[in-house]
Amino acid sequence: MIALAIAQQTVREALRRRVMWIFLICGLFLISLGPVFGFLSPRDSQTVLRSLGLAAILLAGLFITIVTCIYLIPVEIERRTIYTVLSKPVQRYQFVLGKFLGGFATVFVNIALMGIVFLFMIWIQEHKVPTEMFQGVIMTFFQMMLLAALTIFFSTFATPVVNFFLSFGIFLVGNLSTVTESLTTNRNGVVRIVGNVVHYLLPNFGNFNIQNSIIHPTTEIANQNVYVAQNVIYAVVYSAVLLILAILIFDRREV
Amino acid sequence: MAAAISIQGLTKKYVGLQRDEVVAVNNLNLDVQEGEIFGFLGRNGAGKTTTIKMLLGLVFPTAGDATLLGKPMGDSSVKQELAYLPEETYFYDSMSGWDILDFYGRLFKIPEPERSRRVKICLEKVRLQPEAWKRNIRGYSKGMRQRVGIAQALINDPKLLFLDEPTSGLDPIAHSELREIVASLKDEGKTVFLSSHQLADVELICSRVAIIHRGKLLTTGTIKDLTAGGRIEIVAEGTQLVNGTLAKLQAIIPDTHEEANHIVRLITEDNNRISAAIDAIRAASGNIISIVPIKKSLEDVFVETVRKEEGL
Ligand SMILES: Nc1ncnc2c1ncn2[C@@H]1O[C@H](COP(=O)(O)OP(=O)(O)OP(=O)(O)O)[C@@H](O)[C@H]1O
Ligand SMILES: [Mg+2]
Repeated sequence: MIALAIAQQTVREALRRRVMWIFLICGLFLISLGPVFGFLSPRDSQTVLRSLGLAAILLAGLFITIVTCIYLIPVEIERRTIYTVLSKPVQRYQFVLGKFLGGFATVFVNIALMGIVFLFMIWIQEHKVPTEMFQGVIMTFFQMMLLAALTIFFSTFATPVVNFFLSFGIFLVGNLSTVTESLTTNRNGVVRIVGNVVHYLLPNFGNFNIQNSIIHPTTEIANQNVYVAQNVIYAVVYSAVLLILAILIFDRREV
Repeated sequence: MAAAISIQGLTKKYVGLQRDEVVAVNNLNLDVQEGEIFGFLGRNGAGKTTTIKMLLGLVFPTAGDATLLGKPMGDSSVKQELAYLPEETYFYDSMSGWDILDFYGRLFKIPEPERSRRVKICLEKVRLQPEAWKRNIRGYSKGMRQRVGIAQALINDPKLLFLDEPTSGLDPIAHSELREIVASLKDEGKTVFLSSHQLADVELICSRVAIIHRGKLLTTGTIKDLTAGGRIEIVAEGTQLVNGTLAKLQAIIPDTHEEANHIVRLITEDNNRISAAIDAIRAASGNIISIVPIKKSLEDVFVETVRKEEGL
């Protein structure tokens, strides 16, 4: 209940941030460019629309998630609104949870909006909405949920600027899972250890990008549904762990 | 009466940027009784806000302990009965005064329609003009914000309030209105822990005060006791007084001055010299106009206490 009240308040504040709307509009603009590019290359029009759309959702979602979640807690401390909130019967874990839920809901609304527009474009062009396209949007959404949890985790101890580079950097490295995986079998011991740590400890963002298999049907994953489910569970569990850590850190933090 | 706040050996050391240690609060011991308005005084940086923040669990003490309403500090159940007005009030500026109070009401899990009723009562109590209730708080003046700040502190009908500078930066009317609101809390049986630099206000509405300096408690007591003692002022009148006797009077009471119309004013803290001075005045056929004890103002007490500590 309390966490929900905080979440609702958080969404309200987040939706007021102009920078979020700019990224949303950019995302929607890119998605709507799909048919234009498709028209320019009629042979691959389906691939162009699909890949451009998913990439736009990912890119806009990435920036929206980071710029939204990076400030949720620091701004409360900086503006000292946290004093009045935490002096009410609000436990610190409820505060962190509320902030996460609020950030998460904001990201959800944005991705849902872009997703609907994207799927609508596909429907116009293909007269159907393939399951994989829907799954692509869902996967991006859970990837962003994980990123939101990561960003909120960092925001309990890092400044927004440091947080930006940390979250962004880990998102990039986590997307290079094929590269980091190859490091785990490197002949150099040090590289192998670092590779293992990076590959298994950092969130594996790369697994959420099923665009490749969707866009190029030749690289089909054995069972798409199982694969999606696995990654959704991965995102939920990993996010939960990050939130627990965030709460443990925030519990000891002076405001 | 039971203690609403009982502080034992509370200490807070901050580690600064250059690894230097700041002792913001130093072994503070203090008791605040239920139902009193307690003034917590001290210079800028004395450690007032830090003390309040420790009591509310916003920062953690380096040492020491405290109980609030009989429960150990940090016990979350006690927060149901607490209120806090931070020294500068900050709000979510996307909200109206009404929305902010509603939000805080939800944090206390006050259900509707009770919540709306409470919000209304609180906004009325702080006399925020109703036209502004649903307006965005960004357009509020400082005084209006401060009213919302006090209103949010009242939303849960608290037993114990921590008010950090509730009347700073307000116009004289708003100032006296808010002071009266704070004073009225006492009639409702609430306990108020008031940190303030407005010593005239404190003198008017507080029953007891504590003065802290560099984190250390210098003195605590009722305003009556602290401001009592003081000096005696004798005013006398007579032609001879001014001409021949003045030097003689000054020998008895050094702080003796001649004023217009053959009036002499003598001020002393030493009661033993009063009789001698009166005899001398009589001997010079002077009329005694008045003998009055001069009460010290709280400001005098504050300045004296702090100066003494600073060795000035
Ligand atoms: N977060 C912090 N880190 C380091 N030092 C701090 C911190 N907060 C307060 N201090 C120091 O602790 C001391 C007490 O500060 P505090 O804010 O409690 O004073 P105050 O009595 O409330 O002053 P004012 O009347 O100006 O509000 C000051 O020397 C201040 O610089
Ligand atoms: Mg202060």
